[in-house]
Amino acid sequence: MDLNQFNDWLSATSLSQAIQLKLGAIPAIQTVHILALSLLFAAALILALRFAGRGLAAEPLHLLAVRFTRLIWVMLILLATSGLLLIVAEPHRTLANAMFYAKMIMLAVVIALTLWLAAAARQQHERTSGVHRAGAALTILLWIGIMFAGRFIAYYESF
Amino acid sequence: MTFFEWLQETPVALVVGQSWFPWVESAHVVFLAAVAGTIFTVDARLLGFASRQLRVSYLATQLLPWTWAAFIGAVITGVMLFTANAVSYLDKTPFLIKMGLLLLAGLNMLYFQLVTWRGVAQWDSGRPVPAARAAGAISIITWVGVITFGRWIGFV
Repeated sequence: MDLNQFNDWLSATSLSQAIQLKLGAIPAIQTVHILALSLLFAAALILALRFAGRGLAAEPLHLLAVRFTRLIWVMLILLATSGLLLIVAEPHRTLANAMFYAKMIMLAVVIALTLWLAAAARQQHERTSGVHRAGAALTILLWIGIMFAGRFIAYYESF
Repeated sequence: MTFFEWLQETPVALVVGQSWFPWVESAHVVFLAAVAGTIFTVDARLLGFASRQLRVSYLATQLLPWTWAAFIGAVITGVMLFTANAVSYLDKTPFLIKMGLLLLAGLNMLYFQLVTWRGVAQWDSGRPVPAARAAGAISIITWVGVITFGRWIGFV
């Protein structure tokens, strides 16, 4: 079974049909996706600013990192769930789209970077090193790239 | 020719409509995520859900300058998107509701800043007064609405 056949099969499943036929289901799921994304992005920004010494210095880095990485993981679960539903609803639009794969590659990198930064923060390094600051800045660039790739799925021709 | 008909024929409107639209729209998503996410973080503190160990005034002064910077970006990109199809946006109910909710969110913030905030010293470290909690709840509801109806614009 190739990708095209898989997508045909997936869009014929009862779950896919239910989402496709329910008026307003897709924008509603996309709205949940964007709301979770906004909380995740704020958490990533706060973490990066703290690493860069540009904010929330009153809270110890290891405590702040624990709180906001937890928020990042919870929102990622919500994003993955809503994202999976969107794939099930429109597999041809997503799984056959190069932008979707660009997004997933950036996502894998940013998850690895966030895990690394969280581990560094837990060791209570109050004075962050240049490499951590660069890593934190890179997470923000990757999240922005992920948002662009996500929006571009709507404009990019499926293969 | 009305003002909005003129607006969507301006050079900026034409170039956004013909080629920049996906880029400007993506930037709009990035800015709105930063705006809503940082506002929700402060709202959660006002409601006592999170960041309770931080003073409200501290969290607000640390985060809100970034919120405002991102808001300016969201307005600029939003206006650019609007100009590309000004007349048809004005005909879309979700767009008009979104604008109404933005106005409501602004008025809520203004009242909070000018009235409720004057007494912040009394509840800065503890549980915010009912007026402050109400401001946090109204803020969450209006911003969730802004995002919901904003996404809906693309489906009508």
